[in-house]
Amino acid sequence: MAELFSGAEILLKSLVDEGVDTVFGYPGGSIINVYDELYKYGGKLNHILVRHEQGAIHAAQGYARATGKPGVVIVTSGPGATNVITGVADAMVDSTPVIVITGQVSNAALGTDAFQETDVVGMTGPIDKWTYQIRRPEDVAPAVAKAFHIASTGRPGPVVLDFTKDAQRGRAEYHFEKCDFIRSYVPVPEPDEAQIDEAVRMINAAERPFVVYGQGIVLSHAEEQLKAFLKKGGIPAASTMLGLSALPSDFPYYVGMAGMHGNIASNLMTQRCDLLIAIGMRFSDRVTGIVSEYAPQARKIHIDIDETEIGKIVPVDLGVLGDAAQVLERITERMNFSFHDEWAVTARKYDQVEQAKVVAPEVQRTDGPLTMGEVISKVAEASGHDAIVITDVGQNQLMAARYSRFRSSRSFISSGGLGTMGFGLPAAIGAKTACPDRQVCLFVGDGGFQMTIQELGTILQEHTAVKVILLNNNWLGNVRQWQELFFDRHYSQTRMLNPDYSLIARAYGIRYRMVDERAGLDAAVQEMLDSDEAFILDAHVEEQGMVYPMIPVGRRVDEIMLNRNEWYEDGK
Amino acid sequence: MESEKLYIISVYSENQVGLLSSISNIFTRRNINIESLTVFPSEFPGVHHFTFRVFTTERNATQVVKFIEKKVDVLRAFSFEWQHGGASEHEIISDYLQERKNQLK
Ligand SMILES: Cc1ncc(C[n+]2csc(CCOP(=O)(O)OP(=O)(O)O)c2C)c(N)n1
Repeated sequence: MAELFSGAEILLKSLVDEGVDTVFGYPGGSIINVYDELYKYGGKLNHILVRHEQGAIHAAQGYARATGKPGVVIVTSGPGATNVITGVADAMVDSTPVIVITGQVSNAALGTDAFQETDVVGMTGPIDKWTYQIRRPEDVAPAVAKAFHIASTGRPGPVVLDFTKDAQRGRAEYHFEKCDFIRSYVPVPEPDEAQIDEAVRMINAAERPFVVYGQGIVLSHAEEQLKAFLKKGGIPAASTMLGLSALPSDFPYYVGMAGMHGNIASNLMTQRCDLLIAIGMRFSDRVTGIVSEYAPQARKIHIDIDETEIGKIVPVDLGVLGDAAQVLERITERMNFSFHDEWAVTARKYDQVEQAKVVAPEVQRTDGPLTMGEVISKVAEASGHDAIVITDVGQNQLMAARYSRFRSSRSFISSGGLGTMGFGLPAAIGAKTACPDRQVCLFVGDGGFQMTIQELGTILQEHTAVKVILLNNNWLGNVRQWQELFFDRHYSQTRMLNPDYSLIARAYGIRYRMVDERAGLDAAVQEMLDSDEAFILDAHVEEQGMVYPMIPVGRRVDEIMLNRNEWYEDGK
Repeated sequence: MESEKLYIISVYSENQVGLLSSISNIFTRRNINIESLTVFPSEFPGVHHFTFRVFTTERNATQVVKFIEKKVDVLRAFSFEWQHGGASEHEIISDYLQERKNQLK
């Protein structure tokens, strides 16, 4: 007779056979059988014990975003499961492959309000890519195999496996079989030749073509295909926030980040182009401003792997459904060599304005408090533009996106679509766990830091050498900025009294340095980067700093505030 | 404003616990009221057939169909204006199942 294993053990065997080396989790009664097997599993699976389940899923997201491999989370039922919900929603909107295993009460107790029973299937179904309740031990291996296939193919996303006690304790045979086919699921649509030809015609005919790309480039491993496409067509390109680092910052056709706090060039060129080629991006409202006025002169092509995205927000002249790498390769092969030099260099003109009106006032100060821009630029420069940059949410995020520079892909990790404060610290732990040889720098505000600050305990226990740059302004800065500009300076509940972070760092045994003077910045940043342990650099920055340029909500993307008193006027 | 009409949204799926509620969520999230709903086994073995009747706009009906098809366990979904009926559905599903079977081989 074939050997029988418990469902709990089959889960771990399946994970190892799928190539998982690390899981992030937190034990509890409904998942205790899995933890019991883990106890016997020794070194095969590295389990990182977080301090809150939200930390587990954000760490798994950081791990996945840094590597492209699915991140794995194991938590208990009830509150363990509800604590990961924010991360599930975050991973869905940001297309991050994660596999969440939630313990669940026994089959007979389902639906009885048993202790720590909650409707995980009902709660996660609408916000994840796939949910499945495993009720029998023989279903464990096929469910895990399907979960990996679904999470990591097509447009990636989170998958939740709700694992009942019966399935954990019951016994079954184990055969590892990778899943690469599900009848109802076609992850990578074959590009349509007629659409490719039409795209080629439109690109060849364009005088001012412009690309806006998103994270789809990273997810499809299409970085090289994008470069070849831009070079052959002589086409300038902007990135969404989640697309950052897909092209090196110094790539000749790269003009910067699009959207609310993006670069002037990218937003103005969007409005002036005669052909907009959107690739692996989803026309977030943070990118489009008023949708009806977005890229008004342009015919539009949208290349995406997810059919629901095409035409969802911005009506397009041509949708090309497919994997970005495949589609770009075919278009590039067929299109003409072209130059649009006069058009491409308009970016320089806009950059000069941005440099003079926005960047210089932020980073070239000689007196007054430190600014976020100065700290971020210094870290970027001193790390050779080669760190993995993680951000939390708020001004710290927007400024990190603006002032960081990138050399390689998968080097910018941030909560985009959901904008989850508290994402940063655990995501940095996940990224550093995945890439121990890379410098991992987290930029975080004093608000978001305190949303998941308990994960310093994970750093303490795991010796995860993340570099935390706390951009400490004693305010919920991003909300304060909106209150200053649009709510008559009614600073309602945005002033924050901070704890003594040096004592917090000490309590967790983490190296710490405070910097509040320009003269001390270089040395402080260097000490942090040189440290081979975790480090908190508590940078006391200007309290009422602002993120500019800014396109206020309800404006066109060419209506750009340069500072409190000045708007950009094109052509002047 | 685009006018609202009565649409039939017809969905063929694998039999999966929880799928019905996440499909109906696709309607409720867009504030589309479901007038009626039927679920029954389709003429294809193992394939379930749901039909929803909803008042909505053409744009919404098209979008909802795409979002329903995005669910991993959904084979195909269709929308029709009420009274047009779906004579070709049977063939589309039959071809789809055959095609996927061939791809598996
Ligand atoms: C979980 C969550 N709650 C509330 C918000 C709304 N919000 C967006 S930015 C922000 C302020 C962030 O302040 P801080 O973390 O200090 O960063 P700063 O903007 O000052 O860099 C808030 C409250 C959010 N994005 N996420």
